Amino acid sequence: MTEAVRLQAVAKNYGPVRAVDGIDLSIARGQTVALLGPNGAGKSTTINMLLGLLEPTAGTVRVFGSSPTEAVRAGKVGAMLQESGFAANATVRELVELARALYRDPLPTAEILATADLAELAGRRLDKLSGGQTQRVRFAFALAGNPELLVLDEPTAALDVESRQAFWAAMRRYAATGRTVLFATHYLEEADDFADRVIVIARGRVVADGSGADIRQLTGGRTVSFDRAGTDLDVLRRLPGVVEAETRGERALLRCDDSDRTVRALLADGHSWRNLEITGAGLEEAFLTLTASPGKE
Amino acid sequence: MRAYLVFELRRLIREPRMAIFTVVLPVLIYTISSGSSGDAGQVGGVDVAAYLMVSMAAYGALVGALSVGIAVSQERASGWLRQLRITPLAPTQVVAVKALLASLLAIPPVASVGLVAAFAHGVSFSAGQWAALVVLMWLGSLPFAAFGLALGFTLPPQLTQPVSMLGVFGLAFLGGLFVPVAVMPHVLASIATWLPSNRFAELGWSVAGGQAPPLGGVAILAAWAVIFGGLAAWAYRRSAATR
Repeated sequence: MTEAVRLQAVAKNYGPVRAVDGIDLSIARGQTVALLGPNGAGKSTTINMLLGLLEPTAGTVRVFGSSPTEAVRAGKVGAMLQESGFAANATVRELVELARALYRDPLPTAEILATADLAELAGRRLDKLSGGQTQRVRFAFALAGNPELLVLDEPTAALDVESRQAFWAAMRRYAATGRTVLFATHYLEEADDFADRVIVIARGRVVADGSGADIRQLTGGRTVSFDRAGTDLDVLRRLPGVVEAETRGERALLRCDDSDRTVRALLADGHSWRNLEITGAGLEEAFLTLTASPGKE
Repeated sequence: MRAYLVFELRRLIREPRMAIFTVVLPVLIYTISSGSSGDAGQVGGVDVAAYLMVSMAAYGALVGALSVGIAVSQERASGWLRQLRITPLAPTQVVAVKALLASLLAIPPVASVGLVAAFAHGVSFSAGQWAALVVLMWLGSLPFAAFGLALGFTLPPQLTQPVSMLGVFGLAFLGGLFVPVAVMPHVLASIATWLPSNRFAELGWSVAGGQAPPLGGVAILAAWAVIFGGLAAWAYRRSAATR
């Protein structure tokens, strides 16, 4: 069995609202996969169905060949949910020990605490932790049982930059042991940096699926803009690396998949221009591009 | 499941509110009410001191058993119970542990009020009577544990607390824990005999009178256990389906 997760025509309605609108996907064992999408795209709903917390309205979800609930009961899945709280009146260590006791083949306590960077907080009460510390405890709870599939819903949402880096370093160490990791995020950067594969979800559908580089390509890379000072738009459109060109008043906007080449050509060809600006394609813009032409791969 | 029970027990012991509501409060009310009525005389063939001891122990047991429902509602809102659902621990095990914890909370009030009664109010039971009292009050608290869970799995935390308090107070008052059924107006008295709180305390009053609890009373209490147990199961399934 090389497949960790399979979703077939999965849909979920909340009353009249269709949160997930027919998702098909298969995740191989050992992959690190990002579920990328804006808020309200259906990421959390998809994850909750994958964990057996929600029943799909239509379609089937299989985790390691069985139903999500069976896979969870068998201890094959660990998950970190958005904003799940912990019981008061218990310490970090007690919670980790509880998680270990619930799984058949858990990681050693010291390793869990070290991986989640909690060694110094082991004796601390759970209700006396900061947001970032709580997030690390969620991570520790999810990985304590040494699950084959680790599911993380927006794992870095409450973290500052430093803890974010520490978190991803820990996640990478875990993924390196051959485990399957699926995480949801709305940061293209995170998806690109930490996943082998990025699945973009918008309006409850998969709109793109590929490596981080593929997704970047799809989203048009960067925008080069400048005051064109009379240069013809058709000339600009033919510059190397340009995907699309348009003007807004005197300003030319070039969408580029290779902005370096475009800029080099702009300098070399002696066109006149002023106030040059290069901006990365915002994710918002990227989603608009992707959702405007569903199925474009 | 044992690890989860131990985890929960440890948390419970650390909760100071629990000790206040299930030990300090019943002892305090017992001391005050027996101070005003005196220990002499009898109610329904039982010494007043022992009668009041059972009443207050039963009241404390009600508070204790229903308090777990309040915790359940908070843990539902915080997402902790959802987190537990994505571990190998079966949801039925979680509910079973919660019900067990709730019924165990009936023991501290019985023990503490019993101690005060024995040492300060001259209540003298045989060892067998004390043992019977604790065991019967523990088992008899199960319907209230189920009632608390039904509330906890249905209501949001802001409502669970006041509704539980209202439930405890209503059951205690109408069940004759504060005012003996014998001195209640006729209508209220006839209602009281159908209530689980009255039949629960009756277990203790019977022990105090040196008799076995009447079967009719046990049957009424068992019926309530079935009703509340069913409600709790229904509420649990409903909450699991929506979260």
